[in-house]
Amino acid sequence: MTTAAMLSTPVYRPVLPPLPAQHRLLVVQHLALPETAYWQQQLGEEGVPVSLISLNADMEQLCGSLQQHLSQARVGTRLYICGDESFLWKVHQQARQCGLLNGEIELIRTADSRELYCVHCSTLQTIEPAPLVHCRQCGLQLMVREHFSQRLGAYMGVCNDPFAPYGPTTTASASLEEQAS
Amino acid sequence: MSELLDVRVASVRQLTPLVREFTFEAVSGDLPGFSAGSHVQVHMPGTGRPLCNAYSLLSDPQQRQHYRIAVRLQEQSRGGSRFMHEQVKEGDVLRLSPPANLFAPHSRAGHHLMIAGGIGITPFMAYIAALEQRGGSMELHYAYRSGLTDTYLEELAARLGAALHPYDGRAGQRLDIHQVLSDQPLGTHVYICGPDSLISDVCQTADALGWPAERIHWEAFAAPEPGEPFVAELADGRTLAVPGDYSLLEALEQAGVPVPNLCRGGVCGQCMTPYSAGEVDHRDLYLSDSERADHLMPCVSRGKGGCTVKLAL
Repeated sequence: MTTAAMLSTPVYRPVLPPLPAQHRLLVVQHLALPETAYWQQQLGEEGVPVSLISLNADMEQLCGSLQQHLSQARVGTRLYICGDESFLWKVHQQARQCGLLNGEIELIRTADSRELYCVHCSTLQTIEPAPLVHCRQCGLQLMVREHFSQRLGAYMGVCNDPFAPYGPTTTASASLEEQAS
Repeated sequence: MSELLDVRVASVRQLTPLVREFTFEAVSGDLPGFSAGSHVQVHMPGTGRPLCNAYSLLSDPQQRQHYRIAVRLQEQSRGGSRFMHEQVKEGDVLRLSPPANLFAPHSRAGHHLMIAGGIGITPFMAYIAALEQRGGSMELHYAYRSGLTDTYLEELAARLGAALHPYDGRAGQRLDIHQVLSDQPLGTHVYICGPDSLISDVCQTADALGWPAERIHWEAFAAPEPGEPFVAELADGRTLAVPGDYSLLEALEQAGVPVPNLCRGGVCGQCMTPYSAGEVDHRDLYLSDSERADHLMPCVSRGKGGCTVKLAL
């Protein structure tokens, strides 16, 4: 059982062929991603200059470097972000703050994993796609709602059954032990 | 439909051989406020037909005592601009529809790039006043023909200084759209007002340079072109003969069938009307191809070559 998509659920559309641009900026989560080389080549095809920024384990540094690029940029600059969903939206938010519009940003998702926000204990956690998961912090069984927060880059997890908050016939400690094993 | 405003023509100035400026004041009470980029529809009485054209307000939006418009005499006029040039005198009373805005400056733009062709300068006069008050960053590229359509050039030069880029077509000066659009800081929005050819040139160039649609805003001169006479059939079986120099909207209005409308130039979508039969010459810039199968914009679109168009009205 998955919950239905909502207005806030992001839709990732295919990026090819790339839209016309004067300059393209490629921001990747890992240089080692197979997508990195592929997109560098694809985006530079008609001789359009491509600048590459990668995350070297430091989001703040990446944001600084993106800001520096965009402060000098001209209209006609397009940004391509490549990584998992949570990374995509962190960079997206930064780019919007620097003055790029949604129509100038493309998202290339490289992993199925999702970021989940538990509304009961505020913990952000990475999950594999599943309709029900146990919160890593408080142990509640959460229903993964398709409501997506661009600010957090995460989906919303809410208690699935208030009469059996830790899932059918399990206790909080058991469900946490189960996860730890 | 909003209440019409009665205004008195406070002054008329001939600015160039082709451009006449009109200042309106309220007959009684106050004029409604407006924002930069707004237009009014001027209803033209005594032409024997329901003639009504939209004109941009060029006065400072902070000035609530009067409205000002400028009208270029159109060679292909169906009578509207000719009426304004030849019939309207100081002291006359005219009826206006209240101001409506389909072309406002974007509130979050970091820089406003205005491109005007000829009489397309009018909305930007109000833009400049509003942006000056806000301290907004702007530049204006103005293509005109000296002595014919160089309206307000001296005033603009004094107000804008280096932010004015004039191009006199008669002296062979050309606006290089590609160059202008390829070197704009991030956060720029471009606004175009002028002939269709200028608008499509700028839009195509911007597109090719990677400008997203969200940064491009334009307003065409809203006036329906004349065409072939044709017949409109209404839902109650009545038929209207639409003459070549009437728009379908005007014919409907004259027959007492009011249709909500705002721009009368095929861009705003207000007068969208369903139809069930007939071959339509779609002249609007609003409907998608799939919508055109069963909808038309009566302000500009017509039946082809004398055919009958069945309207769901």
